[in-house]
Amino acid sequence: MADNQPDAAADLVAKYDLLPKMIPFLDRHLVYPLLSERDALPDITRTKFELLKHTNMTDFVGDLDSELQGLSERPAEYTKKREEVLRRRAQYEEDTSKLRSLLEDADVVSQLRSDKVANLAFLKEQHGVTLEMVNALYDYGQFEYSCGAYQSAAELLYQFRVLSTDNEKVSAATWGKLASEILSTEWEPTMEEIQKVKENIDTRLFSNALAQLHARTWLIHWSLFPFFNHDPAREVLTDLFFSPAYINTIQTLCPWILRYLTAAVITNRKLSRNSNVYQKQLKDLVRVIKQEGYEYADPLTDFVKALYIDFDFEEAQKKLGEAELILQHDFFLGSATKAFVEAARHLVSEMYCKIHQRIDIKDLSARLGLSQEAGEKWIVNLIRDTRVDAKIDYQAGTVVMNHPPQSVYQQVIERTKGGFFRTQVLSAAVAK
Amino acid sequence: MSSRFFARGGDSDESSSDSEESLYSVEGEEPSEEEESSEEESEVEEDSDEDSSDEEGATGINRFLKSTAAKADEDESDEEKAVVIRSAKDKRIEELEGLIRLTENAIKIGDFIQGSTEFDKLVKLVPNIAKQLDGRTPKLFIKTLVDLEAAVTEAYEKQKVTPKKMNALNSKSLNAVRQKIRKLTKDEQYSKDVEAYRKDSEAFLKEEAVIEIPVPTKKTKVNLLLGDAIIDADDAGFEVVGPGGKTLIYTPESILKHLRSIAESRGRKGTDRNEQIRVMERLLDVAATDYQRIRVLLSLISVRFDTSTSSGGAMTVEQWKLADKEFVKLLELLYANQDQFIVIENAEEWEDDEKHPTLVAGTLFPIPGSIVGAAERLDDELTRSLLSIDPHTSDYVARLVDEGALYSALLRAQIYQERVRKQPGFEGQAERLNSLILRRLEHLHFRQGRLGSVLETNAWAELPEGLDSDVTPRALASDAEALVKALSNYLFAHSEGIQRARAMLHRTYWTALHDRPWEAKDLMLLSHLSETIPSFDIITQIHYNRTLVQVGLAFFRAGLIWESQTALQEICGSNRQKELLAQGVQVQRYSSLTPEQERAERARQLPFHCHINIELLEACYLVVSMLLEIPLLAQIGTAPDQKRRVISKAFRRLLDYSERSVFQGPPENTRDHILQASKALSAGDYKKSAELINSIKIWDLMPKALEIRTMLTEKIKTTGLETYLLTYAPFYSTVNLATLSEMFDLSPRSVSSIVARMISHEELAAALDQVSGAIIFRKGVNISRLQALSLTLSEKATVLIEANEKTLEQRTQGTANAFERQGGPGGRGRGRGRGRGGGPQNMGDRQGGQQRPRGQGFTGGALGRAIQS
Repeated sequence: MADNQPDAAADLVAKYDLLPKMIPFLDRHLVYPLLSERDALPDITRTKFELLKHTNMTDFVGDLDSELQGLSERPAEYTKKREEVLRRRAQYEEDTSKLRSLLEDADVVSQLRSDKVANLAFLKEQHGVTLEMVNALYDYGQFEYSCGAYQSAAELLYQFRVLSTDNEKVSAATWGKLASEILSTEWEPTMEEIQKVKENIDTRLFSNALAQLHARTWLIHWSLFPFFNHDPAREVLTDLFFSPAYINTIQTLCPWILRYLTAAVITNRKLSRNSNVYQKQLKDLVRVIKQEGYEYADPLTDFVKALYIDFDFEEAQKKLGEAELILQHDFFLGSATKAFVEAARHLVSEMYCKIHQRIDIKDLSARLGLSQEAGEKWIVNLIRDTRVDAKIDYQAGTVVMNHPPQSVYQQVIERTKGGFFRTQVLSAAVAK
Repeated sequence: MSSRFFARGGDSDESSSDSEESLYSVEGEEPSEEEESSEEESEVEEDSDEDSSDEEGATGINRFLKSTAAKADEDESDEEKAVVIRSAKDKRIEELEGLIRLTENAIKIGDFIQGSTEFDKLVKLVPNIAKQLDGRTPKLFIKTLVDLEAAVTEAYEKQKVTPKKMNALNSKSLNAVRQKIRKLTKDEQYSKDVEAYRKDSEAFLKEEAVIEIPVPTKKTKVNLLLGDAIIDADDAGFEVVGPGGKTLIYTPESILKHLRSIAESRGRKGTDRNEQIRVMERLLDVAATDYQRIRVLLSLISVRFDTSTSSGGAMTVEQWKLADKEFVKLLELLYANQDQFIVIENAEEWEDDEKHPTLVAGTLFPIPGSIVGAAERLDDELTRSLLSIDPHTSDYVARLVDEGALYSALLRAQIYQERVRKQPGFEGQAERLNSLILRRLEHLHFRQGRLGSVLETNAWAELPEGLDSDVTPRALASDAEALVKALSNYLFAHSEGIQRARAMLHRTYWTALHDRPWEAKDLMLLSHLSETIPSFDIITQIHYNRTLVQVGLAFFRAGLIWESQTALQEICGSNRQKELLAQGVQVQRYSSLTPEQERAERARQLPFHCHINIELLEACYLVVSMLLEIPLLAQIGTAPDQKRRVISKAFRRLLDYSERSVFQGPPENTRDHILQASKALSAGDYKKSAELINSIKIWDLMPKALEIRTMLTEKIKTTGLETYLLTYAPFYSTVNLATLSEMFDLSPRSVSSIVARMISHEELAAALDQVSGAIIFRKGVNISRLQALSLTLSEKATVLIEANEKTLEQRTQGTANAFERQGGPGGRGRGRGRGRGGGPQNMGDRQGGQQRPRGQGFTGGALGRAIQS
């Protein structure tokens, strides 16, 4: 039995592995960190090699190749390639040196304004900058990215974007910069870039619904990187994912993102100050999971389903256990496992308390996957934190919930609460 | 005859009548012509009698004319053909002269009303005469035209100066005549002659006399030459063929000539189509070259289609089969000659009947005709014939067998059209391919996968080996699923509008039929058809209805009650299922259909083998309605302040009706079963209910009937539990879960999960006691009358506010945004969420409930909160 346990877990993890589904929506360079997590896989080196073969990171690729072929040093072709890469790099360096030095010059930069055309004209007149030079910046940036020099790529692409008026390339540069920032784990700029890309998708691809859909899918996948690595990003991105356009994209093209959304919503519990927002998000999530149940299911969504749609606590508990495993093995969610389990327990007990009047502490502890003592502690904390109206009957080992019936007065008050304000708004609108 | 007069009298625009006249006159039944003209004369006579006495001459002539005509009629016999023709022609000319005189006189005296009518008659007569003069317009008419123009213009000018003189009707007629004359003189047919006359009137008229004389003699000669065989000398000499003439006429050289004459007589009254078909069958035997064969086949097929009349009657089975055979032959011919001939719709006709067209090597010679049209027509005729046969007879089955042949014809046509599309210079033909593909899809979509592939495989088996299709390769034949996908994907990519919508619907239908309801639903949503369907044609709407129903049935089979109900509601709740699904005309008591509408509706019907079983549909609909309605009714029963929500009106009506009936017999039909089951269910007797539902025989029609029954029993159990709890909650203070589980034969786990759901959704004012395993119902739900009223009042107030907001939004349309921005995020959104939120809006609010609401309630409610957030 002991042997079976890890096997079953591994099976479970393998069954719900999202990597194959996600790779088509990620850049080569972005896939690499995902792959490097799984050194245990049998042909991981081969996969890595295939992945990076077309990049300019010759040294690294050479190492991989030699490892594959069992050689002690890199095959000779890589030396040649390396020289070639270095040569081209020098070439690019030279091509762009003038422009770069100009842009580093504080005097020149201070004279630049927000108008790109004017800037370009100004540089052309004063310093003899040509359009080719600007475009060379772009190429150089791309080259650097391909070499794995992400920071410098980001810098170059930024400079390019300041000057170029070619919309096509600017948008490509924005994507490139986003990837560079992600790979150099600069989350603040990453969030800025995500915002830019998002605007770009909304405005530029306005007429092409299909392209818009695809671009959004890419953006959703890319933004998973900051999603769970940068706390301030989570709220922004959850909102983004819940916005109609993006939730539609998720539903049509990539329902597996629901796993991350579920994790984000549930772990957000502590973060969000406003419980109303949280409730709303949860409601939306339940709705979407219910709708997509036939297309995608994994322990995380099953947990939500068991808890909020079927009200099956046993099932929820089982799924929570599975979900913990999944989370531990997920590249993005690994760090959030604890928070998730904690928050999920809260949700379970909340729901449980709401429905029950008298609860056996032992049973509840089992539901939450805790020992009896820890369970009691947990309940005490719960009562204190969330101001549940409950008492523990120590002798019987039970918690007694007090559900006061909603009085009629309160009901009337609730119903008419908005009336005054709404009428005011209405009359103001009419008066206008 | 009457129709002719009708056309004549009603038609005031002479230019259109020209063609009509010529069409009729070529038809050429001599006796009737005679009759007609004499009638005409009598009419003229009457007119002239009314007119005035100084037209004595005209009348006289007419009288004389009539008598001669009558005499000629009497005299008419086989050997005196030439005389008859001559007299008829002369008579026409005399008639023309009479009319001209009348017109001129009328205009001279300023009676334009009379003038106008006479002129109309005149104009109509002219093409008749022109035909007898070998297409030349009578000079006399041209002369009159020019003279009249002068007279009328003069009168018009005069009238302008003294406007008071003429009455309104008269002046109107004057204008009409003037317009007509002007139009005629500019008309292509006459303008040349008019010009010639204006230039030199003398010479023009003289010329006429010279030419006119030889015509009759020439004709006589011809007649004598051909002897008895030909009666009407005016025609090409084909219409009636004596037994002796056949061998002489049907030679390969004359084939094209015959075809032309047949084509010309097409659609005319009195043509004997069967005779034509016989002639053409012979022609086909005689035909020497492939070109001729193709031409003969093309017209033969279309004449065969003509044998069915537009109103109702379908082609006979024999004709259809022959047409199908010939169609196959035609396509085989075209396939054999694929580098020489091509049949396309808008090709130029080869004018020269005598010569065989010269073929240029390497280029295709286009022949006018429509392969796609013929294939489609075959399909339509088969459907019509199926509609006219009683579906419960063996005839129907026998006829249905032909569908295989038809399907293979469609496939052939498609392959042919694909080839045409690939030829340089004929790319424009591509869109015709779409309609063929759509037809195929129409024949496939309602079949189960296996049957579909049988149809497809058989169709391919009939085709020669070498043929293959790009869109649907032969390899796909055994995989109906892939085939349907390929067909519909092609249409998604290459068509638009109705075709695309239908392709979508057929694909959805297919998906639903194969028990993939979610996918079908996604397709349905993807297409956005539910928004645009009212703008489509009726047939597409019918397909939409069918698809919707099929999706509903798929949900039903999958045990998804709510989804099934939503999908079925629209069609089944309407009480007009038959009409909406085009599966039979429903006789409605107060129907205001005109006969035309009724006929159109009959034509729209689907053949029986495509039908969705209406009774099964009704059973499904009523069962899902029952499962949703009964708990709802129970809920309304105990909580009167609840809004009176109705899910299915149709079900409620039936239930009411059955409750009102005094005596309840044992259930006889499906409906009775379901209604009695509903009653048992609402009384908490799930066993009886399940028994009744399961004894309905119609479930056997579903695939996997057993599973359906088990599913239904399960659903009835849970619904029974819900209903029981809702109905009897007020009478209990605690209920043991184990008892419930026993009562409804459900596992304790599912009982607790159902109860938990009901508590969480606030349908049940209760809580679970985990220790004793019981439900504890909360007391204090009894409210006084005043309280109930105040609740209702508050509800109504909310409704009022909402209605006001809606009105304002509609009024201000675009500018309402400002209003939204102010009110939306604060008061409104939240107010609404609260009012309706119910279940999911749980703990957070409830726990804090005691402190917060009170405080807010007195500090300005939502306004305060809006400021906070």
